[in-house]
Amino acid sequence: MENPKQKVGKVFLIFAGLCILALPLIVLTALSSEPEEMEASVADTQNMDFDDKGQAVFASYDQISRDYLEGTSTGRTLSEYYSRRQYPGSPPFIPHKVEEPDLAPIECLTCHARGGWTAELKKNTPITPHPEQEACRQCHITVTEAQLFVETDWMSVAPPRLGRTSLPGAPPPIPHELQMRGDCVACHVGPGTVAAIRVEHPSRGNCRQCHVPVTSAAPWQRKPKS
Amino acid sequence: MDITRRDFIKSAALQSAVTTAAVLFPGISFGAWKNVDSGAIDWRKTPCRFCGTGCGLLVGVSGDRAVAVKGDPNCTVNKGLCCVKGYHSVQILYGKDRVNKALVRKNGKLVETPLKEALDLVAGKMQETIKSHGKDAVAMYGSGQWSITDGYVSSKLFKGCIGTNNLEANARLCMASAVTGFLTTFGLDEPMGCYDDLDHADVFITWGNNMAEMHPVLFSRMLANRKSKNNVTIIDLATRTTRTSQAADKSIIFNPQTDLAVANAICYEIIRNDWVNWDFVNKHVSFHKGKTNIGYGTQDHFKFKDKAETVDWETYKAFLADYTPEKVEKISGVPAKDIKYLAALFGDPDKKVVSYWCMGMNQHTRGTWINNLVYNCHLLVGKISQPGNGPFSLTGQPSACGTVREVGTLTHKLPHGVVMKEGARKMAAKIWDVPVENIDPKPTYHTVEMFRALDRGDIRFMWIQVTNPMVTMPNLNRYRNGAEKDGRFLVVSEIYPTPTYDVADVVLPSALWIEREGFFGNSERRTQHNDQIVPMPGDCMSNTWQIIEVARRMGFEKQFPWSEETYIEDIWNEYIQFHDTPKHRMAPYKELKANSGLQWPFVNGLETKWRYHAKYDPAAEGEDFDFYGKPDRRAWIWLRPYEPAAESPDSEYPFWLNTGRILEHWHTGSMTRRVPVLHRAAPEAYVEINPDDATRMGINSGNKVKVSSRRGSVIMKASINGRGRPPRGMVFVPFFDESYLINEVTLDAFCPISKQPDYKKCAVKLEKV
Repeated sequence: MENPKQKVGKVFLIFAGLCILALPLIVLTALSSEPEEMEASVADTQNMDFDDKGQAVFASYDQISRDYLEGTSTGRTLSEYYSRRQYPGSPPFIPHKVEEPDLAPIECLTCHARGGWTAELKKNTPITPHPEQEACRQCHITVTEAQLFVETDWMSVAPPRLGRTSLPGAPPPIPHELQMRGDCVACHVGPGTVAAIRVEHPSRGNCRQCHVPVTSAAPWQRKPKS
Repeated sequence: MDITRRDFIKSAALQSAVTTAAVLFPGISFGAWKNVDSGAIDWRKTPCRFCGTGCGLLVGVSGDRAVAVKGDPNCTVNKGLCCVKGYHSVQILYGKDRVNKALVRKNGKLVETPLKEALDLVAGKMQETIKSHGKDAVAMYGSGQWSITDGYVSSKLFKGCIGTNNLEANARLCMASAVTGFLTTFGLDEPMGCYDDLDHADVFITWGNNMAEMHPVLFSRMLANRKSKNNVTIIDLATRTTRTSQAADKSIIFNPQTDLAVANAICYEIIRNDWVNWDFVNKHVSFHKGKTNIGYGTQDHFKFKDKAETVDWETYKAFLADYTPEKVEKISGVPAKDIKYLAALFGDPDKKVVSYWCMGMNQHTRGTWINNLVYNCHLLVGKISQPGNGPFSLTGQPSACGTVREVGTLTHKLPHGVVMKEGARKMAAKIWDVPVENIDPKPTYHTVEMFRALDRGDIRFMWIQVTNPMVTMPNLNRYRNGAEKDGRFLVVSEIYPTPTYDVADVVLPSALWIEREGFFGNSERRTQHNDQIVPMPGDCMSNTWQIIEVARRMGFEKQFPWSEETYIEDIWNEYIQFHDTPKHRMAPYKELKANSGLQWPFVNGLETKWRYHAKYDPAAEGEDFDFYGKPDRRAWIWLRPYEPAAESPDSEYPFWLNTGRILEHWHTGSMTRRVPVLHRAAPEAYVEINPDDATRMGINSGNKVKVSSRRGSVIMKASINGRGRPPRGMVFVPFFDESYLINEVTLDAFCPISKQPDYKKCAVKLEKV
């Protein structure tokens, strides 16, 4: 008799196979231009967080080693990434055990400021885009209970879709808010990042020379003086 | 466990499958949430719903749903950062058990009823009770979560129209000692400073205040200041080790209630070392003595009135002789060298010092006194009313200042002044368009006494809005039994079922904060407006409009003439007539709508950041300081002694019980427990025990422990070496969890001046079960 583990494995392998078959579709999706989809997760007031902190962002980029930049051995997935959030951009909860008393500036930032392999969790650590904030557990809290107190009717917008470019081969725009998430390299390069949002050209240091935020969904319209 | 090659391939296949699927199937949700199907997010400003910090939020709206939150970068309070509660605050709108229909108790059960019928019943029952038992048999109990307009129309209805002073708010349990502290020392309520002090000060002292969890956004601003300079010191002066103590440069633990002695000892040391700012003291300070041995208010009908006596410098100096650091070390457990260190920080002319406190000093049977004594420390060295220098009383509710303190929804208050003063009554009568005789010159009941009156039967009808007294009243058993007695009629305006809802005769469905237009007022005199951002569900109605509907049914159409379209603006314009002087002028409606909060006094289009200093305050006269709240235009230093707590541990009940909040949950958890991520982080209350006590008693973390006092008991899990650590001989219990009503254990002793109960000190015993 087949054991359940093998059975599960087969299902995954079949699914993976299907995905390979669908590869041409993926390519097509990635190349197609669908500007109207940008609306869902885009603000009409864009915060200039990146430009405020531009110097710090470049400095943190300088400190990242080449090996780290080229690192690809990530195990994180987008679904895992969003399962820890309540809406695109909400502070994720802490998915691992943390110690009391709370010594967050030391305990969190030791790993999450610079990333790297953690032997304890057997994972590459994701980097925070805002290491200047030291009261980590003001926003990031643990989970100790699976059941809800009362069921909720919560809904939010869909997470931004991937692979959106205006022209085939063009750099995709930035589909998310930049407030507290303006340090591109923190989330988009290195072994700790989510594979699906990792860039293939991490050594180019000025991300925003090509990737620009979308601040308005409405097309420009001329208002001639009457 | 070793990972086999086969496992690895499987997991890699799974990951690539999921990743691929994300690209393959547009519209598939990889979030933990259901998706709204509409287009762009619209970001709308509002103050946060929770604490008194008053962070500015931008709520993301898609269609008619709130779907996301970010910090408002235009709000100077939080400059774009929130805490975990703020980021998830909009989820409080969507608990599945939201109350959205009126309910009336019929044959013992709450039954859905048309709203109109429920409002008729409320008005009819109130009129009937007034007829049979007199106007002082009806009461209203609100809170610092009331929007400013809610509190204003309550005051107008109860004090102006019905003519009873039976109007209180749970801010009495929260801020009353801060108010009496301000009034006795400065003659006017609310802080002189503002949050800009967080960026300017060199020394921060937190007095019994776990800011890291209770006011996290302000605390992280303090940490940011320390990080950006190299000479900033944070001292946590507390009765229990908390996250704030961990982050502080120095943690000083004192025995409960002995902060009175420690503050006096700091002043003793300042004088002994001649660190007194003589120029300031000679020109701007006077010295006063009040009554001593003032009692604890645990008896019904307890009365106390303080009497001020002016004294001289020498008398003050002689009074402090009992408070040498060495003597105080014996009472407080604080080493004399630490007291001297604190005094030296105050005494150093090159250091700017800010003190922060909240419930540790206010929920205190000598709450007014300890507020006075901390002011003394600042006044002796003149460190007040300037950027980075000053004592700062924090608030726990979003509009404790804006609604309860500024509108005056307390038994003795009117929107301007007190009911005892003829001038204040005349002003109110004129603005309210009621005969001046309507306004009763005698205050009736403060909160604890009001619930005692309900128990005794002196009060027969009570309308409760935006608060949950059946979780928060101290010595809760008595007050719940009282509320459930025959012949009592309770109306509860609520958004979710709570223990207070459980004892209601009528439940009115209320609109939540961003489901209606309103105003909050935060700790730093900042008034904050929000538009209605999402629609109200079902029959929900703003608390303001509920009161207007009932008032009209009672025949007060003339006083409540507004239309549903513009009533918030109209009420604001009426209300601000009460404060139209440079000491308290409020910003116009149009300005508040356009800005992320504005600080009063708002004079000639400018906010006032620091009061009582001519450089910053348009009401101050002269060159520099002007404490215009007092008739002698001086700030008053008070001679307030150390007196013990109402109930201290003894051989039968050997532990102190301390209660409070935690980061994830706000107050009784009726909102935050319905936010998935907050509940999952902190699903139930617990009792924190010192590790040594736990070892001695054989208690491990997670064991069930019975915490009992002379009034009641609770069985709950022990938490040892959790986020807080009480000293030996103390336990701490958070009060958010309605399944473990710790207030059945607490004592209803209060500060005789402020009438605010002490939730931080009573005697309990522990038993392992």
